[in-house]
Amino acid sequence: MTLAIEAVGLVKTFPSKGGDVEAVRGVDLAVEQGEVFGFLGPNGAGKTTTVRMLTTLLSITSGVARVAGVDVASDPDAVRRKIGVALQEAGLDPRQTGRELVTLQAQLFGLAPAAARDRAQSLLELVDLVDAGDRRIKGYSGGMKRRLDLASALVHQPDVLFLDEPTTGLDPASRLTVWDEVRRINAEGTSVFLTTQYLEEADQLCDRLAIIDGGRIVLEGTPASLKASLRRRRGLDHDPTLDEVFLEATGRTRIRAAGDVEQVQA
Amino acid sequence: MNQALLLGRRALRETLRTPESLAPTLLIPLFFLIVNVGQAGKIFPASSTGFLKGQSYAAFQLPSSLLLAASFGTAALYLVEDIEGGYFDKLRAAPIGRTALVVGRLFAEAVKSVILTAVLILISLPFGIRVASGIFGFLLLLVLASAWAVTYAGFMQLIALKTRSAAATNSGSLLFFPLLFLTPNFVPRSLLTRPMEIAATFNPVTYIMEGLRSLILGADATVVARGFAVVLGLGAVMVILNVRAVRSYD
Repeated sequence: MTLAIEAVGLVKTFPSKGGDVEAVRGVDLAVEQGEVFGFLGPNGAGKTTTVRMLTTLLSITSGVARVAGVDVASDPDAVRRKIGVALQEAGLDPRQTGRELVTLQAQLFGLAPAAARDRAQSLLELVDLVDAGDRRIKGYSGGMKRRLDLASALVHQPDVLFLDEPTTGLDPASRLTVWDEVRRINAEGTSVFLTTQYLEEADQLCDRLAIIDGGRIVLEGTPASLKASLRRRRGLDHDPTLDEVFLEATGRTRIRAAGDVEQVQA
Repeated sequence: MNQALLLGRRALRETLRTPESLAPTLLIPLFFLIVNVGQAGKIFPASSTGFLKGQSYAAFQLPSSLLLAASFGTAALYLVEDIEGGYFDKLRAAPIGRTALVVGRLFAEAVKSVILTAVLILISLPFGIRVASGIFGFLLLLVLASAWAVTYAGFMQLIALKTRSAAATNSGSLLFFPLLFLTPNFVPRSLLTRPMEIAATFNPVTYIMEGLRSLILGADATVVARGFAVVLGLGAVMVILNVRAVRSYD
């Protein structure tokens, strides 16, 4: 079966005055179709850079990436037809209404005007924004923007949905709503690649996850297997939290994490 | 092409929803027309100034104002907003032709400029201006001015794509002022001092200004054709550079 996402030796180097900065240093990924795959890591670990390479937004310095079976570097347009993308800080046009934005997105993906309007209506219903659909996005709350961003990423029923920190900055209720949407989208067969800073989010949503640190994947597995492995290694009498798994994998203690979090610009 | 039109329509909607951004594009060129005519109009009376071909000095000055109105390049400022707000990445991640990504806004700029130029000419009529080349000439005026608007917006979009900075893009509009004044702005090229004449000869805006002026004062087909050739050539270069910039945008 074709993998939803496959990456082999993915590298991204940014030129800088003090010499090249290697933001991603050889990432391998194999995400199965139908999975919700979590991609975790501290700030600047290379999460967003990896997502941007996989979604055709950033060139790949070396390595190979295939999304829905299509090579990202050699056929980016075919990849774009198969993916939905909701990036950090919901990139929306504040002067359009929610309905206009989703309709335009559907038309840009090739739907005829009437079909695009119908698709927008059903997606606004899906994310519970019908009432606000004819208001300008400028007046939307953070949660509404995220839901609209999610809706606009689904206009073409993508095979793979990329969500880059979809709940950062949201209140707990809005976060739960986004989680419900992600589950519903995944239940309909869409594979989801999710980056997040919230380990509870990964625990709740992800079938499998990988932790990236310093541009390299340092741990990969299901949330349960990662916890069980740490429990065995430490001889604990209870299952550790995913926070503890994360802190161990990234070589951070709670004290270091509080006071000395490495900041690498990615 | 369809995608470019869709994005162009969205850009027009954006302009209509920020009418306050249109006011300066109309008022500042009018201000320059009034001030320039007020300061130099008496030096060049219509009756005894051959190069005015019987019209008022305002008719000679109108092309400068039309070019100024067409050189605000607001398309590029909206593009920076899209880049900074993340919407540009959303569009880049969709299967939209890279040409459409940059040409869409230029379509909108052309439509906006046609309307602005027409309004400016209509407002200028009470200054004793008439378009000597008639209705067809008036239409050519609209096309020539809007072709320049597209070209200059393309230049500013290039700054936006390269710098991704609102401040840098904004300063791009100021570059037009030296271009506007290194032209036969107040008198024909033959009456300029030698250094100014040389500068004006190397300035592409000169030829577009002379083309516009020729359409207003009485069409000289060669001058008009030269204006179109310069603007179409420059416009093509800008579109090509824009497409290259968006293709290599990382």
